[in-house]
Amino acid sequence: MSDLQNRAGLNRDGQERVGASPQVDVQFDRPARRYQPGDRLAVRYRIDDCDGDRIHAIEHSVVWYTEGKGEEDLGVHFFQRVTDRSLRSSRVVAGDFAASLPRSPLSYEGLIVKVRWCVRVRVFFDGSRDFVSEHVFEMGDVPPARLPPPEA
Amino acid sequence: MRLPRFFAKKRGHRRTGAREWGAFGDGLFHGMLLLGGLFFGALLATGVAAPEWRINHDYIESTGTILAKGLARSTREDPPGTVAETWQPRLRVRYTTVDGVREAWTRGSAAQTTTDRESALRGLASWKLGSQSKCWYDPAAPDTVVLERGYNWWLWLLALLLPGALVLIGGSGLVRALRSWGRSEECRAASTGLAELLDPLAHPPPTSPGHPAVPSWDDLVNSPGTILKYRLPIESAEHWTLVGFGLFALLWNAVLVVLAVGAGLDLMGGRIDWWLFALLGPFLVIGIGGIVLFVRSLFLATVVGPTQVEISDHPLVPGGQYDVLLAQGGTGVFRRLQMSLELEEQATFRQGTDTRTERVTIWCRPLVDCRDVSPAPESRFETRTSFGIPADAMHSFTSPHNAVQWRLVVRGVTDRRPAFVRVFPVVIFPQDPFPSAATAPRRSDAEAVR
Repeated sequence: MSDLQNRAGLNRDGQERVGASPQVDVQFDRPARRYQPGDRLAVRYRIDDCDGDRIHAIEHSVVWYTEGKGEEDLGVHFFQRVTDRSLRSSRVVAGDFAASLPRSPLSYEGLIVKVRWCVRVRVFFDGSRDFVSEHVFEMGDVPPARLPPPEA
Repeated sequence: MRLPRFFAKKRGHRRTGAREWGAFGDGLFHGMLLLGGLFFGALLATGVAAPEWRINHDYIESTGTILAKGLARSTREDPPGTVAETWQPRLRVRYTTVDGVREAWTRGSAAQTTTDRESALRGLASWKLGSQSKCWYDPAAPDTVVLERGYNWWLWLLALLLPGALVLIGGSGLVRALRSWGRSEECRAASTGLAELLDPLAHPPPTSPGHPAVPSWDDLVNSPGTILKYRLPIESAEHWTLVGFGLFALLWNAVLVVLAVGAGLDLMGGRIDWWLFALLGPFLVIGIGGIVLFVRSLFLATVVGPTQVEISDHPLVPGGQYDVLLAQGGTGVFRRLQMSLELEEQATFRQGTDTRTERVTIWCRPLVDCRDVSPAPESRFETRTSFGIPADAMHSFTSPHNAVQWRLVVRGVTDRRPAFVRVFPVVIFPQDPFPSAATAPRRSDAEAVR
């Protein structure tokens, strides 16, 4: 799921960008991307193919959000904005960050409510354009919800 | 520079409005509210507040002799085609200024203006011709004189309250829109403090300290149980229905009484307002209907008898074992009394201009199923059982528009009365990854016995 969203290239509202998109590669310290509450999550990312667009800031965050029938809710666990002058001249930008995961909420695949955890790398270009890459990971071991069998 | 799109794609392939345009519209709306508040505030300040302030602070005191009395009449078309008259008592006064002796009609105030001529005449009666009284004149326009000073607090309140509310709502909304402009949703969600102050209605539901998105459970352990550790509070839809019926009956009949008193006074004065009387008929029927509905709901809510649920520990944790006690009071025979532990998902979403909430029960474990229960008149029916929380259970979850709620649900079918459902919420914590003395899951009474 995360890779699909990364390939599509989403702007600030999860909207597909027209034209060339940078390639954001994210590597988790656990290839299975499965963590438990309290674990330390470490991430490395690399941004390629900016096509001459100048990056003026990068935001990386660890967030949870809800999906499903209800309006989307968002909780930010970790947030960092990088505005380094060296970003402007680089054709390839790389970075890393780490955060300790909280006790809750756990990832949950319900019927009308889903809770997802993800790492987001948001790249801000000159000209008020931005590009976000989202990489989902699992926290906890809650099995997907199933409807109870109908009563006889 | 490229303009933002009007529509953007949201997750689930739903199209929604673009956030930039939404923020622009939000800012524009609140900016107009702010401007409106400032404009009306300035109008009221210059038209009402400032003249009154000048009378009390700038006018010079003198002594005046009352020479004549009169009523100033103003007429205006309100509504169009109808002439409305207002009356203002005025006095002609001779008084001494620094430039010499002057004569002028007193300036009327908004507080003295009335639509009732008799009332205006009564206002004049207290003044005697030829008598002397203190007066105050405007040093900038000495022909402007008043015999009374003071503040009209009602007008000041209106002058401050209405524009003040517009300025407050418009200003906070405009600042909120400007603060969110050009910032990512993560940045906005990460910044608290001023954002919460600017948008107090958007506060997320209270959560447990150290457990983000797990609902607060302090209110669930306020009451000690008689047998087990805690008595759980009830959260029943029928109680809210009862409150709703009660409020409706109260407000509707209050309006009805006001209309009826007005109609009665008209009748006593020899006038009959047929429109009012025609309105009173259906209003009376709805008012009586509201009272009947409320009394019926009150009867149904109280006739079944109280249901109490006690639990051996709280909050619960996955894998834990707990004792639970169901107690049912009341008279008559309960053909069936059931209690189950349920997991409900709740999603709130907007559909057009409506806000809807959908609930789905996705997990249910029966705990108690009793048939033909007859509580004794002096005591209550009690049954006690144990249950376990699955080790891989989802914890309780709450966010502004979504929730995963655990609850103990009691369903009853009585002999003659309608079936009832009573809900007792519980909170399940996730397994604690940092067990300590303060936060470690407590073992239930039942577990401790083993």
